[in-house]
Order: sequence, then structure tokens, then C-alpha cells
Amino acid sequence: MEGEPMPDALISPTLQLQTNVSESPAPSLSPSSKLDEGYSDDTRSQADKDLGSDNGMALPNWVLALSEAGRAELAYSLLRSLRTSSIVAVVDRLNPRLHMDPVVKLPPEITFEIFSYLEPRTLLDATLASRSWRDRILDSGLWRFLYANEGWRTNLPAIRAFEEEQFEPVSPQTRKSRLRQPEPDLGEPRQKKRVPPTWLDSRSGKRQHSTVFGGPVPEPDDEGDHHMTDENDRTPDSFDDSDLSMPNSLSVPSSPLCPPLQSSLLLRYPNGNAQINWTHLYKQRRRLEANWHQGRYTNFQLPDPSYPDEAHSECVYAIQFEGNWLVSGSRDKTVRVWNLTTKRLRHAPLEGHAKSVLCLQFDPSPKEDIIISGSSDKTVIIWKFSTGEMIHQIEKAHADSVLNLKFDKRFLVTCSKDRSVKVWNRRDLLPNSDDYPQMSRGTGATYPSYIIDLKEVSPSMIEAGIANDQIKALKPYSLLMTVQGHAAAVNAMQIHGDDIVTASGDRMIKVWNIRTGACTKTLMGHEKGIACVEFDSRRIISGSNDNTVRVYDHASGAEVACLRAHSNLVRTLQAGFGDPPGADEILRQEAQAVENEFFAAQESGQGVDLGRREQRRRHGYRGNTNGSRDPRDITALGAKIPPGGGGSNWARIVSGSYDETIVIWHKDGDGKWTQAHQLRQHEAVTNAACDNLSQVARTTVAAQAQQLQAQQLQATQQGIQIMMANAHGPNAHGPNATPAQAGPANHHNQAQATPVLANATLPNPLPAHHHHHHVHPRRPAVVPHSTARVFKLQFDARKIICASVDPRIVGWDFANEDEEIIEACPFFQGL
Amino acid sequence: MSSITLTSSDGIEMSVDRTTAERSVLIKNMLDDLGDSGDAVPLPNVNEAVLKKVIEWCEHHKNDPPSASDDDDNRRKTTDIDEWDQKFMQVDQEMLFEIILAANYLDIKALLDVGCKTVANMIKGKSPEEIRKTFNIQNDFTPEEEDQIRRENEWAEDR
Repeated sequence: MEGEPMPDALISPTLQLQTNVSESPAPSLSPSSKLDEGYSDDTRSQADKDLGSDNGMALPNWVLALSEAGRAELAYSLLRSLRTSSIVAVVDRLNPRLHMDPVVKLPPEITFEIFSYLEPRTLLDATLASRSWRDRILDSGLWRFLYANEGWRTNLPAIRAFEEEQFEPVSPQTRKSRLRQPEPDLGEPRQKKRVPPTWLDSRSGKRQHSTVFGGPVPEPDDEGDHHMTDENDRTPDSFDDSDLSMPNSLSVPSSPLCPPLQSSLLLRYPNGNAQINWTHLYKQRRRLEANWHQGRYTNFQLPDPSYPDEAHSECVYAIQFEGNWLVSGSRDKTVRVWNLTTKRLRHAPLEGHAKSVLCLQFDPSPKEDIIISGSSDKTVIIWKFSTGEMIHQIEKAHADSVLNLKFDKRFLVTCSKDRSVKVWNRRDLLPNSDDYPQMSRGTGATYPSYIIDLKEVSPSMIEAGIANDQIKALKPYSLLMTVQGHAAAVNAMQIHGDDIVTASGDRMIKVWNIRTGACTKTLMGHEKGIACVEFDSRRIISGSNDNTVRVYDHASGAEVACLRAHSNLVRTLQAGFGDPPGADEILRQEAQAVENEFFAAQESGQGVDLGRREQRRRHGYRGNTNGSRDPRDITALGAKIPPGGGGSNWARIVSGSYDETIVIWHKDGDGKWTQAHQLRQHEAVTNAACDNLSQVARTTVAAQAQQLQAQQLQATQQGIQIMMANAHGPNAHGPNATPAQAGPANHHNQAQATPVLANATLPNPLPAHHHHHHVHPRRPAVVPHSTARVFKLQFDARKIICASVDPRIVGWDFANEDEEIIEACPFFQGL
Repeated sequence: MSSITLTSSDGIEMSVDRTTAERSVLIKNMLDDLGDSGDAVPLPNVNEAVLKKVIEWCEHHKNDPPSASDDDDNRRKTTDIDEWDQKFMQVDQEMLFEIILAANYLDIKALLDVGCKTVANMIKGKSPEEIRKTFNIQNDFTPEEEDQIRRENEWAEDR
């Protein structure tokens, strides 16, 4: 590379001429192109590099004295005097002059803008253009933007805490020398640059192993060492002697890659600041999502198979997990609190309910520290989460089983088999509070006699009453209102802001205002009772005894998808649509585009209409209800979201059914929902047990399992005969129309097949054996398994946990034992 | 209609409609701060040729509604460019980059966006080799490094 720029007189005319030869039609350029300006130093250095050995001869003074236009005319005439082949040669030589590197020419904030228009895939390809491109593209800020646009969410408090924890004030005393490097970018003209990530050597001896489920932020473990010692162990030396002296060097072929080939979780700045590396987070999240899509996971169970005594003694109806804790409620009348790291009970089972625990919610934060559970004993119990003590019991909360409950900071809402929904206060409540019920007559809501009708008493009277103690605050967990409106049991509900969404055996979903009790919306579509419902402010998603999962547009009430894969009641589900920033506008546009196509199809006489499916089927078209945007599949107009419900490519619905399977739904390339994976409880139990065994034990176990399988296959075949004999109704829906349904009562016997394995755990399981990356194959339908109707599931970014007829709670961990993914997981949130 | 005078870096004065000039937030703020003294507004970072192009763009877009709010910045972006702007941006690369720099300096967000989209579209769908060709970039990776990076990037293909 040439050191000194050439004297202007020598180089510029050449350059100017070159420009104008091929750019003569662009008038904008010519007037300004004076001999000595219009080029930044950066550009010239690039031009030097390209043309250094390729410059034309010096021009005589009379040529230099000509105007721009004059020189252009001269050059044109000169060229015209040449043979075509010579012209081509000149043009070829000039060609590089017309192309310049935006990464050299433009500052980082502008290339950031440019890159933010591109897909991650494109950007990664572009990192191969050059070192400076790679450096500019692998920018943490850019990948933070890209991360958010995938619709992935993050645990920002955890990130902030981690960054603070990793901060090291800059002082020679506290700095540890081993990994410190001189800043490689020192002296480079661009600012906002960072030192390559240097992992701290502040590793304390303790290492948290693969079981961090959103628990305390992991200490940097040997990951860091990997990064520093594998590909990049040359790094410190080469930085020392090369880059400081040659700040602008574009290519020192032997200089190490910067940033290093392998990203790491933390970026450290020379001033001691530490920041999370979003490029790394993006990558790990992407790899985690790929595991979900490919069905790569490991299994675990609660309790740890080595402590079978800690398990519930009967089926588990309710679970919720958050951070490191999971709370479960069972037919055995107890509530249990689990530590997800140890997979063991936190304290003794919580006893207080007289019958099955059907529903619960908890908040482990110190401010709340609460579990609330509902039971078929018709009561609701409030527990202290940290100690397990009973704080309060609402006796006779309902006239029948409490089927579901939800609470926020202000209210507890319960729903029951008695067809009613009740709202309770969680704090002392005075009539001058915003949370006090606003009576609305004739809406199906009724209020206890102690509730004051705010329309009949003036605010000043209320203030006076409060002042002289005539009006007392309602104690926490007082009934505020009872909402009647469903004609059958209210099976499920959710609170979202001021909306309560309820789902009932009467096949309807209703939306209520939590302050007035007025019903604001009724959604219909399911052909049988509804068992579960989710609401995310844009869509309502429900699962039903008609075996379907349906997605409704909250705004218009239109059904935008109906998913069929289960062969029995859909009892539990969770949906994450992964809306990126600005989603409302995107969704609206997508919905509009679909309607435009519909109208276009209608106008061109393609026989589309909004009639019932049966009618439309007569046109000989088999409809698709999974979110197809084909005009022939559109059943309703005016939705604010497109068919399928919209959201990111990574959107996910997980549904659990009485058909004993869990289905993971993902979107295909066209935005239609497809059944990506089918999971089974008994496989998870077997795998969870195996994962705790040594290689030898696993071989034994495998042999035993085969034996069992052979035995049970016989039993199964007998079962099939029974089922055929009693065949009633369609039973050929899914792949697992297996005999299990024929004998639901036998689960306790069959379940024994796996505890045998569980008890075989060896004293010292070797972590070294944990590298087996089982891609658990989907097994054929005919395998022996226990009956495990799925009652409740929950997923987050990393895992699904599921409760079923089987007393053991099982989980699918999609981090799949990948250390880098596990390290990044505490910073992820679901979709 | 009131007009103002702008002075380019190479000392050329240009008279422009005030509404047109105020597409530039920088110029608008300067005029708001200084009042309309009638003095020429110096723009030491923009030469005449580029300034002419920028004014041409502002002229065409002077009646556009004010650009959408800043939360635009956080959302997925399309690289669609309207026809007139596409034509306007059919210039040599040097002029293109100069326009982008000028739009950035003059704080004309919509023009900056069009410029950035234009460059983004030049990158889209290209192999690394094609990108190098497009922008005359010298490949400073060793074949081994290229290979390593390619392998390291494979995570993005698994789905």
C-alpha cells in the first residue's frame, strides 16, 4: 500500500478525467469537480490502493488549463480515435474508480442505517466482503436491533444486573493483567469502537452447571477460556506489535480477526464498562429457536428421578413456573413448590385444601411473595410463597369447584363450575380508589350489598364518609362483583389490563370489563365446550373439546385460524406470536393486503365468498384453516390481523390435549401454521431418567425397555381389538389413536415401567456423558406408554413444562445441553 | 414566497424557497435561531453539485407530510423506494455517498433513508465476491479465514 498520497496536480486530473469519461451525462458532477477537492482522504487512499500502479501519464499544462467540460470533450475525442479494443481496455482500467467502499466512505452510524435494512442472512454473507465490513457488521447495536425485529424478547433487568456485576473500575490495582489487551482500534479514525470481547479472569471457583433456568446470572465459566484459547490465542501478541503502529492498515493478512471468530457474551470497554454482546445473544437465540424447529431437546422431570418420594401422589392439574421456581397443584390436595435447578421440593407440600387443587398462580418477587390456589373444595387459599404458610382462605368462594384463577396487583379473579366469575380486591380498597367497582346494572353483574353505588353518592359525601370513618376500607379478598353470563362451567380465564377473558363449556368466549363487570364481547366458533384460553391484546387463542385450537382477532372477533391435529379435547395451550416493534401497523397492512386480494379475486369471478365452509366446499376446493391467505380460504373481513394471526416467523403455539400429546405449532414459509412436533409425556419421563444414568446403566435400561416394549406390544394389540369392538365416533384422527384411550384407568400400572428406570440411578452420574445430543426421534404410534392426558403446560424461551395424569411433572429443554445457549438463556424471554 | 440563500462549501450561492430549504432540520433550526436576516446560510460540508441535487430532492418533496415519528426507527423496514426517488438516486457511487452524507449533515431524514435504502439494495442478494466487485473492495481475508468465517456463519442456516 502506498504511503504518501500523490501530489494533487499529478493525480487529480487523472481521476477527474476518469470520472467524466463515463459520467459525462451526469451534469451534476461536472461543475464542482475542481482539481483539488471533492475527495475525502479516505476515498483517496482507496483510490491510491486501486490505481497506484495504474496511473496514467502526467498531463501537459495546456490540458490542465482547460475547463472541466473542455477536458471531458478532449477525452471523448481522444477515446473516439481509438480502436474499440483499446476503449474497452481503458474502460476496464477506469472501472474501479467508479466503485467505492461505503464502509470507508461513510461513518458507522450511517452504515448502521444501511445494514438495518438487510436480513441477518444477507449481513452474515456480507461479513465476507472484507475485514472492515465484518467489523462494521458484527456490531452489537445492529444485532440488538435485529434481535428485537425477530420478535424475540429479552430480560432487560437481568442484562443490566449482569453488566453492572461485570463492571470493573479502571485502576491498575484492580485490573488483572492476563487478558488485558491494548485496544486494537486505537488511533483508527472511527470512534464508537470497542475492544474485542475479553472474558474476565474473575472467575470464582464455583461453577453453575447446566441447570440455570433463569436463576442467578451464571458466572462466566470455561466458555470464556474457550474463546480466548481456541482460535484466538494469538490475539494478544499480534495486537501488541502491529495495529498500534499501523492504524489505518486495511490488510495485514496475518492480523487476527476482529471481532474474533467466535463471539462471546460480554464486550469489555477500556474504561472497565462491560456490555452484553447482542451479536452473541442474537446468535444463541437463533440457535435455540432452531432447536425448537428441529425438535432437538433433552428432558427432565420433577422430582429428580432419584427422589421419587417428593412427587405428587396423584395427577397434577396445575403448574406455573417463573425464574427458578415452579409451583404445582394436584389431585392429592397439595400445592408443591419446586426448585428448577435441583428439581427438588423447596419445602414440605402445602396442605390446606380438602379436595383437588385445580388452579393456581404465584408471584415469587419479594414484594408479592404469594401463591393463590383454587380447588374443587370451592375455596381459594392464599399462601406465602417463601415459607409455604397459609395466609388466608376464602371459604365458599364459589358454589362449586374453582376451575381457574388469575391475579394482578389489584384484583383476584376466579371462575367456577358454578358458571360465575368473581372479582376480589387484593389490597385495602376505598370507594375513592380507581379500582373500586363501577356498578353497571343490567349487564349480568351483581354486587354485594356493601359495595357503594358511586353514581348515587357524591364524591364529597364519600370523602366525608371516609374522613369520619363511616366508610371503611374493604379488606383484601373481599368480593367486589359476581359476573353471570355463561350458560355452563367457566373453564378458563385470563386478565389483560382491564379485560377479563373467559372461556366456557357453553362454547363461547366472553370479554368483560374488570371494573364494571359488563360484557364487552362474545366470540363464537367452537363446536363444543372450550377448555382453555389465552389473550395477548391482539388475539384470543382457545382450545376446545371439538379438538381444535382457534385464533380470533380481538378487535373484530373474526376467527383467523382453526388448527386441527389433536384427536381429543385440547385442555391447555400457550401462544407466543412474537410481535416485533411497530406490529400494529404491520398487522394492519397485512390484513389489508389479504382483503384486497380477496376483493380482486371476487371481482375477477373466481367464485370466492364468505359463506359457510360447507357451501364453499361445493366449489370443489378443500379449504385451509391454518392461516392461509388464499382468497378462497377467507371467511371474514374487517380483521385487524391477517389470517393465522400474524406475528413473527418464530411465532409458536404449544397445545396439550387429552389425546396425551403436546403439539408444537410453527409457521411455515407462507405464514400458515403447521404441526412441527408432537411430544409425549412418557417419552420425556424415560429420557429424563436416562439422562441421569451412566452409559452402562443406560444400556441396561435400554434392554429393559425393549423387553417391556415387546410385552406391552402384545397387550396393545389386545387393546386394539377391544377398541375396534367398541368403536364409536371417529377415532382415526391422529397418529395416536392408540389403545391408550381404551383403558384410561390403567395408567398407574403402566406408569411403573419408568419408575423402575428412575430408581436405577447410579450414585455418581458423570457429567462427561452429557454430550449426547439426542435428537429424539418421533416414535411410531405403537409403543407402550402410560395414559397421560395433558392438563397444563407452560413454555418460555427455553423449555416446555407439562403436568398430566402422571404425577411426575416433565420438561423439554431446547437448550439441548449446549453450553453457549445455556449461558445466554437467563437473558432471554419468550415470544 | 420568501426565499433564502445558501452558500456551498465551494462558495457558490444558491437561492432557494424557504419551505424547500426547511426540509433540512439543520437549516430550519438555523433560520429559527437566527431569524431571517437575509444573510446567506453557509453550508461548509456540502459542495455545489451535491447541494444542487439535495435541493432538487427537497423541491420535489416539499409538500410531503412530516416524516413519521421516531418509533419508526425500531421497526422492521422495507427497502421499497418510490419511482421518482429511484430515478433521482441513479447517480454514480461517489455522488450517492455524498448525498447520503449531506442528508445526514443537513438532517433530512427522508432523504437519508432513501439513500441508505439505495445502498442496501445494492448489497441485497449479492455474494461476497459480488459485493466486493460492486464497491471495489479488496479481499483482505486469507482463504483459511474465509473458510472459517463461512463455517462460523452456518448457524444462521439451520431452521
